[in-house]
Amino acid sequence: MKVKETDIVNIVIAGTAGQGVITLKRLIEFAAQKSGVERVFGSEMHGLAQREGAITSHTRYQKKIFKDERRNLQSPLICYGDADIFICLEPVEALRRGIFASQKTTFVLNEHDIPGVMITADLEAYPPLDKIVEILKEYSNDIHTINATKICLNNFNSNLMVNIFMLGYAIPTGKLPFINVEHYEEVIKEWLRDPDINIKALHLGIEEGNKVNYI
Amino acid sequence: MKSDSRFIDETGKVLMLGNEALVRGCLEAGVSYVSQYPGTPTSDIGEYFHQVLTENPDLKDYLVHQWAVNEAVATSSCAGAAWTGVRTFNPMKHVGLNVASDALSVIALNGPNPGAMVIGVGSDPGSLGSHQEQNERFYAWMLHLPTIEPHTPQECKDWVKLAFDLSEKYDLVINLRTSTRNAHSRGFVELEPLKKGKEKGEFIRNIPKFNSLPPHAINNHVRLYERIERLREAIPDLGLNKIYPGNNKIGIITSGVPFGYTMEALHQLELYNVPILKLGMIYPLNYQEITNFIQDLEKIIIIEELEPFLEIKISEIAQIKKLNVEIIGSKYFPKFNEFSTGLVATTLAKIFHKKPNEQMIKAIDYFNSYKEMIPSRFPTFCAGCPERATLYSILKATNQLENTVVCGDIGCYVMSFFPPQQCSDLIICMSGGLSAAIGMSTKTDQKVLAMIGDSTFFHTGLSPLAEAIGYDSNILLIIFDNEWTAMTGHQNDVLRYLINKDFSIEKVCRALGVPWLRVEDSYNPKKLTKSIEEALNAKGLKVIIIKRECGLQAHRYRMQQIRSIESQGEKAQEELFHITGCQMCHECSRILSCPAIRRVEIDGYETMQIDDDRCIRCGVCYQICPNGAIHKSTLNLLGEEVPFRH
Repeated sequence: MKVKETDIVNIVIAGTAGQGVITLKRLIEFAAQKSGVERVFGSEMHGLAQREGAITSHTRYQKKIFKDERRNLQSPLICYGDADIFICLEPVEALRRGIFASQKTTFVLNEHDIPGVMITADLEAYPPLDKIVEILKEYSNDIHTINATKICLNNFNSNLMVNIFMLGYAIPTGKLPFINVEHYEEVIKEWLRDPDINIKALHLGIEEGNKVNYI
Repeated sequence: MKSDSRFIDETGKVLMLGNEALVRGCLEAGVSYVSQYPGTPTSDIGEYFHQVLTENPDLKDYLVHQWAVNEAVATSSCAGAAWTGVRTFNPMKHVGLNVASDALSVIALNGPNPGAMVIGVGSDPGSLGSHQEQNERFYAWMLHLPTIEPHTPQECKDWVKLAFDLSEKYDLVINLRTSTRNAHSRGFVELEPLKKGKEKGEFIRNIPKFNSLPPHAINNHVRLYERIERLREAIPDLGLNKIYPGNNKIGIITSGVPFGYTMEALHQLELYNVPILKLGMIYPLNYQEITNFIQDLEKIIIIEELEPFLEIKISEIAQIKKLNVEIIGSKYFPKFNEFSTGLVATTLAKIFHKKPNEQMIKAIDYFNSYKEMIPSRFPTFCAGCPERATLYSILKATNQLENTVVCGDIGCYVMSFFPPQQCSDLIICMSGGLSAAIGMSTKTDQKVLAMIGDSTFFHTGLSPLAEAIGYDSNILLIIFDNEWTAMTGHQNDVLRYLINKDFSIEKVCRALGVPWLRVEDSYNPKKLTKSIEEALNAKGLKVIIIKRECGLQAHRYRMQQIRSIESQGEKAQEELFHITGCQMCHECSRILSCPAIRRVEIDGYETMQIDDDRCIRCGVCYQICPNGAIHKSTLNLLGEEVPFRH
């Protein structure tokens, strides 16, 4: 389905503390600004970033706004079922934010799990990846998984670029319209400490994403 | 990485969070003094001021930013500065207003003139970063605090500026109220030129204005009503309130973030003809403005989070003006938790007899069908946290809290109640744990233990400690001296200044006359456990100070040292911990529960494994493993040793 310039783009980013969920959200927003979108409004959670918690953010933008404010982007939160894309940095976090998904949602999912303390203590069970994907399929069949952590460790000897790699992996889905790769590169240079390696991670993600056959 | 120009550019359109926009608005308004105690969702406001002053030190002549020891101090400090004739800003979280309210009740009465004072209260519907979600809007009514509620970052910036003008013009303390949601939502902000704050002011003696005692107390109260009434008359001309017209006989009155949910919910329900009054100022209300909006309508829906505040105030106006209109809100909407577009849409669907959006209902229903199986991931102590290690020793010393009550408090250790450690029986407020312990210990023979962090200790903990010493209360108080206000993000606050002045909690305790005092290190768990055992067997007040820097900060500092050694081509010694021969006894995962340890399967056998990336080398698990299965090895033996600070 072709995206109209007046459509509201809804992106859910889900992950755990320290995976760079908020950094990724900011990069998309700043890149959206570079691309000339007229409205951005999105919410992020602070305070739990170093406390092992579950982190999510809502990124929303509208390329062209209507004169009638009643049809425009007005809320920093996405409505239930209204996400266009889920960028999931950790598998179970996709389930936790599932309420924002529906058949129009595309999922891109890092396969690498980060079990919480209750899993380690063997007081709760972590569902196998197959089971997670099976549950998500009830929302939408458009699910693409990749072990981003393993790829980043192999290529960069670090998992710090998983968020940027997953952004790259998400780009070929076409669910982040109006923003070009150059816009992301620009903001990576402006805002991140190691721009070169992050730009490499972005392109590696795009390369992997391009191997997927999107409908 | 470039420095952040969004706070210093004179023009442009930039992306800002609500809180960043508040700071920008203050800088455009010529703010001269800022003081606050950190607390979600307002902690980062002070961080942005700090950042601006660090990046532009020449501004320090015009703007002073201080982290206060508590909210009451911050509020009075702001009033003191305002009374020299400058503009002051005082951010605080919603529960911070409880602490500040004693001071604020008088400051509001006296009025901030000749200067101006704006408080920035961050509310927290949904309790997203607080121990409760109180509706602090009722303070506006009680203390006569005109309250402005922005929806977008642009409004945050524009309206905080207006708030300073109003405060100056009407001699009123203005509240610029945000919520966790819009404080941390990002949107475009059009910049306007910056204005430098006043370098110096002067206090001019005015005994009736600044001494609200009889007879001036009553006179100032009368004067406060006059000031509020003058502002009330001016509201329609301020541009804060806005009508979205429509010919439906049912109208909506709302404000702040719920306005956004309402607009999108109406769009989803294809209800484009519902008249909406968006209030920018929620207290006071202009009677004529409200009357004009509601008089021709049959029904008004008030959409507001938490207890009905606007609903009561608007019903009051309808009654005074004898208007025949039904006013509803809390009858349909919950009086608790945060709202969402989905909640507003389903509720409005009921009121307007519309069918809610199918995609949304399907998403909600399906999510509810599987949500029970999602493993929990609550916030917990970081890997290597000295507070976690202390809880381990408490659990060991008390045989898993047998006949023991632990009075918790606010700080990182607020997380003590989470499983698997579950080492906190109650939480009240800043320093409420020690206070509760004082009363409790007179009425039970159980062992009573209280915990408090260093920042909370200075916030309001000194007073209950003095009381506990006075009565020799039968309590063990554990003070976490980790040198940082860690939970809110390690601000460069007054604690840091005290530490640099060779100040110590131990000296304070000794000076106050604590009868039984020990200083321990939770990275030595066996010794600490023994001390706790001894303390709990002794009568009267016992204090154990846990002297160990926040693990996160200590690790950051250590990694910097290692990087700097390596950048000079040298090698740093590195300790590694690894597990072999694990008996799966779960001592490390259930009683210590360090997140750097994970359970894995290797060749069909379950074992624990230490995650090198996350382990900060505190060595606690190595010392406590009952089976000696955790081993230590040292890499680069000839390299430079990099111990933790101290």
